[in-house]
Amino acid sequence: MIRTFKKVLIIFLPLCGLWFIGQGSYIHAKAVVAQLLLETAWTETLGGNKEVKPWPWSDTWPVARLSAPALGISRIVLAGASGSSLAFGPGHLFGSTPPGENGNIIISGHRDTHFSFLENIKKGDHLELQSNKKTSAYQVTDIQIIDKTKVEAIPVDSENKLILITCYPFDAIQSGGPLRYMITAKFKHSFILS
Amino acid sequence: MSNYPSRSHKSLATPRLFFASIGLSLCFNLTMIALMLFNSINAAANPIQQDDIITTDVVNSFDELGHGTLLFKHATQYKKAAQLNIDVVMNITGMINRVSVTQSFSNTTDDWQEGIYVFPLPENAAVDHMRLMIGERIIEGQIKEKQEANKVYQQAKKQGKQAALTKQERPNIFTTSVANIAPHETVEVEIEYQQIIDYDNGAFSLRFPMVVGPRYIPGKQRIAGFSGTGWALNTNEVADAARITPPVLPPGSQRKNEVSLKINLNAGLTLENIHSTYHVIEVDKQAGHYEIQLKQETTLANRDFELIWQPHASDIPKAALFTEEMNGDTYALIMMVPPTVKKTETLSKEIIYVIDTSGSMGGQSIVQARTALELALTRLKPGDRFNVIQFNSFTSKLFNHAESVNSATLEQALNYVRSLEAGGGTEMATALHAALANQSNDNSLRQIIFMTDGSIGNEQALFEIIQKELGHSRLFTVGIGSAPNSHFMRRAANFGRGTHTHIGKLDEVQKRMQNLFEKIENPILKDITIDWGQMNSTAKNIAPNIEAWPQKISDLYRGEPLLITAKAKQLPNAINISGDVANDNWSSKLTLNGGQTRQGISTLWARNKIAALMEQKRDNEFESIKQLIIDTALEHHLVSKFTSLVAVDVTPVRPLDKTLDSHAIPTHLPAGWDHKKVFGQPFPATATDARLNFIIGMLLMLLTSLLVLCLHGRMTAGMQEIERRRKPKPRYLGSPIAPTVGVRNINPNPSS
Repeated sequence: MIRTFKKVLIIFLPLCGLWFIGQGSYIHAKAVVAQLLLETAWTETLGGNKEVKPWPWSDTWPVARLSAPALGISRIVLAGASGSSLAFGPGHLFGSTPPGENGNIIISGHRDTHFSFLENIKKGDHLELQSNKKTSAYQVTDIQIIDKTKVEAIPVDSENKLILITCYPFDAIQSGGPLRYMITAKFKHSFILS
Repeated sequence: MSNYPSRSHKSLATPRLFFASIGLSLCFNLTMIALMLFNSINAAANPIQQDDIITTDVVNSFDELGHGTLLFKHATQYKKAAQLNIDVVMNITGMINRVSVTQSFSNTTDDWQEGIYVFPLPENAAVDHMRLMIGERIIEGQIKEKQEANKVYQQAKKQGKQAALTKQERPNIFTTSVANIAPHETVEVEIEYQQIIDYDNGAFSLRFPMVVGPRYIPGKQRIAGFSGTGWALNTNEVADAARITPPVLPPGSQRKNEVSLKINLNAGLTLENIHSTYHVIEVDKQAGHYEIQLKQETTLANRDFELIWQPHASDIPKAALFTEEMNGDTYALIMMVPPTVKKTETLSKEIIYVIDTSGSMGGQSIVQARTALELALTRLKPGDRFNVIQFNSFTSKLFNHAESVNSATLEQALNYVRSLEAGGGTEMATALHAALANQSNDNSLRQIIFMTDGSIGNEQALFEIIQKELGHSRLFTVGIGSAPNSHFMRRAANFGRGTHTHIGKLDEVQKRMQNLFEKIENPILKDITIDWGQMNSTAKNIAPNIEAWPQKISDLYRGEPLLITAKAKQLPNAINISGDVANDNWSSKLTLNGGQTRQGISTLWARNKIAALMEQKRDNEFESIKQLIIDTALEHHLVSKFTSLVAVDVTPVRPLDKTLDSHAIPTHLPAGWDHKKVFGQPFPATATDARLNFIIGMLLMLLTSLLVLCLHGRMTAGMQEIERRRKPKPRYLGSPIAPTVGVRNINPNPSS
């Protein structure tokens, strides 16, 4: 009896293990593959099309490309920061200033996929945000860790800046923690697309 | 145990490979887990620098914020928008107010501009004129069906002509668009409306709203990006959200929308006093009238203006008649105050208090609401039953069901109320459902006191809930704060067969609530009918050649007058008004002669007719009622949901090679509101469970490895046993160990 149980365990445990590892890998795979698909949709957006859905059943669309030239990082930013769009790319918060316009542009992303690179960003670093109108350069001026149970809302003002938000700590095992890593970058200049 | 060796015969063939693989996977697993755990521990061990963490005193759960809370789409865009100034002139004669609102749009930029201004007007305003004023030129607005008016405007805009369009989004929200304002030019749009003055408890009053408070937009956002000029996206529940949510100036902004206000008050009665509730005014008494203006010439457009004037006790009117002759018809506005009836014995009742604790109630409003609610609780009597419901993104109740009033429940309620804080969305529908549910079948007195600022965009859906679920309850609305949605207050109370009141600052809580209690606790006049004297009174309100609005007369609470507008070929000499008060029949004859002639009574009649029709429109007869509304609006030159005023200048002014910038005029946050509470964007969830999944997966693999290893260990032991059996056993006969074994076997209690 015990031996049958052990046998079942020997088959069942690694299957479960594989399933969990598969789940984890799936999240990462989705994050990577989606970005590849988004490239095409973004190219189309730059070509003048609006709200290009990267796949037919998508409920979001690319609105910008965020890059950190020094780190060689480039991410396609999606409309909205709901869980379903963040799975595929960093999300631009509805209601914050749209990319390419003046104001507080807020983008959030998962700390363990698209926005894991934020950990390597330092004050003074340059960031670029390409919208369908122009590309704007920003310089990181502030990096803060915020406890969302203590701060009522994302602090905003009427300045012209880019705010990147991800979860903190970067290596936490579980999701859903109260801390947020917030990078603020001031607008430097913009150039029209060539 | 016996068949074990044969089963594992295969692995036995390659024991090294087997061990190597297990060992390898074990090492890999261990390293991975160690790495992950180390990272996490490392992160936890490096405490975050305290100065890095921004904290404020206000603690509020973000997860409660609904998706209706959005922010500042136009964070700095507004800087380009035209500067706005508003001049208001009111002419009050008796119970009628004729108002001119001049909105001047100043383009301070070097570009051609279109200005779009979303603004409030009193919910009973009959907007019948709009003119576009460019320097010396005045272009009179024409009334057209909404779509046609829009087409005319858009075409003029494209052709470079100066044009203005005024349309209605809600009975109390309007939009003015002005196209092609030249660089550094000022263009004015004058809007005129007529309204009936409120009369209650022997005092006249008017409210002039100055700002549309940011509305909560429930529902799922439509994936269409921003349309219109608002900060909200259209949703499945509020299809026009973008049109009723003008951008709001961020805190600390230098920009000002200023209002000047002049009132010419000809009350027709000797007045005891005149006072403004929220603004400091100057009153200048002239022969037969008063001239009133703001003490400081202008005020920020960030809160309602309220003026109250009270006649001398001897001069308090009991009835009034105003008439106008137009196109062979007589239009009449009839006012009559029913006599007050002595208070009868009080029945025990059930009272449900509902309080809005959404983000828009943050700041001063929640304090006013809490105070009002505490006061209301103290009015409860033993034998009454009550409950308190609060709502923001969620609805919660103090008690599961209404409880009897006693010192314990009352104490519990007071503590509950005192601890209420504002924050989150305004999901009012669930609160209404909760308040209207669990009604007993015994038709006992059930009252709902609903305290809110009404800052929602889905009024119609809420009215429908009230209509459908009211049962025998009565709903009373208390409009809280500096810029309440008065349309919601009035209509919700109307559908709820109750009455409404407003509280805009803390020190009027006592007086206003007292007034409300008097209404609630005194007998009402109900089932009111009017016999126009030309038909055998078959309980019909309307004789063939008399069209009176509203057709169904609401119950009247103490101090409230009966107000009715009528159109007739010829007014009867007298009408008979009857009703039921405290289970007694009541009737009164009112003679209709000697009324004063006033311009614009026909407009008020048409406005009443449209308002009544708007309530009647149902799906099956939507088109026919819509047509009736359009016909009435076009005939009386009225802006309505389906008709707009448009004015177009003849000559194009904008060179067509110059582009036109379109900007919404930003509005102030209502006074006393907390910007963060309304527009604060919650932090999104920004981590996946990938790492957790990996760790669980790895742990399981590790467990498997260990298990296999453990079993294999036993298996190996088994193998050795077999091998040992196969080989001749080594003999230790006569070895010195034997005695030891013997010693071990000596047991004093062998049976144990």
